[in-house]
Amino acid sequence: MRHVWKTLRMLLIVCICFISLVPFYILLVLSLNSPSRNFYEGNMFVPDFSLANYREGWEKASIGRAMINSGWITIIALLIIVVFGAMAGYAIGRYRNKFNLIGYYIMIGCMMIPAIIITVPLYSLMIKLHAINTLWGMGCVCAVSALPQAIFIFTGFVRQLPVEIEEAAIIDGCSKWKCFWKIVFPLLKPSISAVIILNGFGIWNNYAQAVFFLQDPKMHNVPLALSVYFQQFAGAHWNLMAATAVIAIIPVLVVFLIFQKNLMSGLTDGAVKG
Amino acid sequence: MRSKKIGLHTFMAVPAFVLYGLFFIYPLCKGIGMSFTNWDGLHPAQFVGLQNFLDFFHDKRALHDVITTVVFAAGSATLLNVVGLIYALLMNSKFKGKSFARMCIYMPAIISPLIMGYIWYLLLQPQRGFVYHMMLRMGKEAMFPNWLGSFGSVMLTLVLVNVWQYAGMTMVVYLAGLQSIPVELYESAKIDGANGRQCFKYVTMPLLGTSIRINIVTNIIGSLSVFDIIMSLTGGGPGYQTESLSIYIMRMCYGSKTGYSTAVAMILFIIILVPVLISMRLTRQKGDD
Amino acid sequence: MKKHIKGLVSLALCGAMATGMFTGCGASAKGKGSNGKVELTLFTGKIETIDSMNDIIDDFNASQDRIKVTQEYQKDASSVIKVKFAANEAPDIMTTYEQEYADSGKYMDLSGQKQWWDRLNPEMKDMCTDVGTGKQYRVCTNTTNAGFFYNKEILKSVGYDKFPETYDEFHDMLTKIKDKGITPWFIFGSEAWHLGHLIEFIPHGYIKQKYGTIDAKKAMLDNDKDKLQYGDPNGAMATFAKNLVQLKDEGLINKDVLTATSDNCVQDFVNGKTAMLSNGMWVLSSLQEADPKIASKIGFAAYPSYMEDMKPVVLNAEDSGYCISANTKHKKECIEFLNYLFKAKNQKKYCEAAGSPSAFKDVDAKWAPENIVKQVKDVTENSVNIGYTNEKPAGFSGDDAGRLVQNLLDGQYSPEKFAKEYEDAWNAGIK
Repeated sequence: MRHVWKTLRMLLIVCICFISLVPFYILLVLSLNSPSRNFYEGNMFVPDFSLANYREGWEKASIGRAMINSGWITIIALLIIVVFGAMAGYAIGRYRNKFNLIGYYIMIGCMMIPAIIITVPLYSLMIKLHAINTLWGMGCVCAVSALPQAIFIFTGFVRQLPVEIEEAAIIDGCSKWKCFWKIVFPLLKPSISAVIILNGFGIWNNYAQAVFFLQDPKMHNVPLALSVYFQQFAGAHWNLMAATAVIAIIPVLVVFLIFQKNLMSGLTDGAVKG
Repeated sequence: MRSKKIGLHTFMAVPAFVLYGLFFIYPLCKGIGMSFTNWDGLHPAQFVGLQNFLDFFHDKRALHDVITTVVFAAGSATLLNVVGLIYALLMNSKFKGKSFARMCIYMPAIISPLIMGYIWYLLLQPQRGFVYHMMLRMGKEAMFPNWLGSFGSVMLTLVLVNVWQYAGMTMVVYLAGLQSIPVELYESAKIDGANGRQCFKYVTMPLLGTSIRINIVTNIIGSLSVFDIIMSLTGGGPGYQTESLSIYIMRMCYGSKTGYSTAVAMILFIIILVPVLISMRLTRQKGDD
Repeated sequence: MKKHIKGLVSLALCGAMATGMFTGCGASAKGKGSNGKVELTLFTGKIETIDSMNDIIDDFNASQDRIKVTQEYQKDASSVIKVKFAANEAPDIMTTYEQEYADSGKYMDLSGQKQWWDRLNPEMKDMCTDVGTGKQYRVCTNTTNAGFFYNKEILKSVGYDKFPETYDEFHDMLTKIKDKGITPWFIFGSEAWHLGHLIEFIPHGYIKQKYGTIDAKKAMLDNDKDKLQYGDPNGAMATFAKNLVQLKDEGLINKDVLTATSDNCVQDFVNGKTAMLSNGMWVLSSLQEADPKIASKIGFAAYPSYMEDMKPVVLNAEDSGYCISANTKHKKECIEFLNYLFKAKNQKKYCEAAGSPSAFKDVDAKWAPENIVKQVKDVTENSVNIGYTNEKPAGFSGDDAGRLVQNLLDGQYSPEKFAKEYEDAWNAGIK
């Protein structure tokens, strides 16, 4: 009886994984097909293993430059989210004064406001700050849209950290400020990786804001470069579109694989107790 | 040892607040101000009071979009939670390749919506897509559902695609909740003679409270502001039948009703706020503020 | 105390990260650059031609040392330009032209630039003229045509050497093609703009033919209901809708009209699965790319007449327009760049890359294979030419019109209801 249940469960899990992966497999097959091949003819599951699409996509889509841009934007945004978010989470979690709590609840409330209504005022602001077509400007915009959720997670985690550890450090002559960086911040590591995982991909894939704030083609990020490339060259060429799409996914996937263990432990220790 | 004097460290939230204030609250205030004007983005704005909000209730297209949005969100938020929980329960057991399986389920959530839209259209396009061709090979093409055929079926398709893409995220939060339940609790329940179902009902569910809360709240927010999935699969069509309120706001904003679009956005905010507050209250636990 | 100071410094540094970042490092896109050159921005949504445009821009930048032009492009150019105007930050030169921007004085008046207008085809100059003010706010370097592109071999196989000129004949022909197992007419209705174009070319085409393009433009601008008659159950709009529904019900257009994409259309056309499609000249390059040998099979025809007092119409309109922002600080430099861009040799290069005929009298470009050029010439000479109307109410775009057609094809609207809805949507946009 137990065995039957176990086999059934394994089967279900395999099915779920299969459903989740089918689109990726199709993308891969398409990207490896030669241009002349009709996808729906012959064996749909075995590609031609032609790498020409990758070469052409890489050369024409300026995807390399776009990945560097996306990479910088993601790093800048994540730095802000993690450093400022953790600091804010610590202050809000430990010192529940009016100032902190009001700020906290405003930010949580703002998570529910459709961001489109700030587009025009934000655009004017970005011009005044000379932030259009800059990676740091785009990084700030991305960071700000992720900050409330990050603070939500950090606050929850800080609240459940035992105060005793900090107290011991302070008795040893450590300032509260130093104590945060030396003791609390390292303890936040799991939730930091959770925040990175939950937000990083969205920032890498940002299109809605990038379309306004990254006008200069040299500053285009990955989704912008892809959308331009699809329109300019790839048209009906599914194999080229798929190949560039795969190229764009690879760095995301690598980072994901590195962080995925931390993601689990981060969430176990942090967010859920929020 | 709470220090009595107000130290520097209590203001560590300031940099985050400053940044958020500058890049979100400040433009937001201007945006909210726009909702009381007839600004079209070109001519000087005129104050029209609450006219935009009153117009909304006579706007047939907008009211239909509210229905679309709510139907989608009801289906998607519910299913996401159920599917996410089932996935998490399955993944919480010990088996070989567990981390691989988790990765598979989470993967759809990391792909850009732009690419996702292309893939889904390639898969599901009626009479041309991959699924259709597979069924054609099996001689079952007549069974290919015309998912665009009716409002019900097209909404169902959109909900299912959304669940497919984001179930991984919901699962991760549930999984984290499941793993934080001490094993001893299950052991003592078993000693007391509880069977699997009873364990789930009396041990798992109560202790999953916080995960449920996080998931319900985030899924309500996400589903009610749905944009990408609908835009890439149907473009809100045919006509305006599957247009969500977010898409409507976007089209009005870049059309010439910028002021009106911000008013609709404020209404969408209320539409999101109400169920969020209700679900927060329903899932309220000891120790929450 | 010392500890406190340390903390204060660190906190101040963090604060500086938030606020201090904003100074210094932003590269200004406008005005004079660091080396004293005037920097101009050309903003475009015409993704297809960015490469040939960049070639010309590079040549220009190398040809002198006072002005540097950069091209910015974005797929969603229409939303982006809206936000730019709303924030009062228009690019110096742009290719996006909307009636509402012209009305609110966002573009510079180009009427005085004789060096361009003297070279331009007179009818193209008319097309560039704003009917409200009689001034020109843009220069169009190309012309474009739209009509039916059809597969000559398929038409021949059902006994047609010439494309029919009336709807009834057209309908008979489609029926014969269908009997051969070929999709007669492919409409890619998942893309709302395509359906919007059908409205623009067929029912609006009727109005433009009846009153002439200029008077029709005026009627649209003034919302002259006597002339437009959109809601009339026997008018052009309702008849167009009736015909479309009839074709759909009889299987004379593709079954998946609501989900088909333009890529599908191109594929089916080159594979001989469909006999014709309606589109503009720009589709030629996609067709030839999909099958380099297709050119000899392609025929071009006007839209058949479907109202009693109507002749076949073909779109013969302006394309690739350039506007200068009314607020640019560098008018002279913008004009200098456009002078360079409009040079005959540069235009020849551009036309050949874009596959689009020139609007200048002195540019002789081989923009398409010989037989197509000849057919287009024949068709434009032998049928009524209509222009493109930008004179639409604010907030009622071609895409919106297309979405109403989607509802019609989906069976949500009867033809009469469709005409009424169209009229209502049009009126709602008039201020």
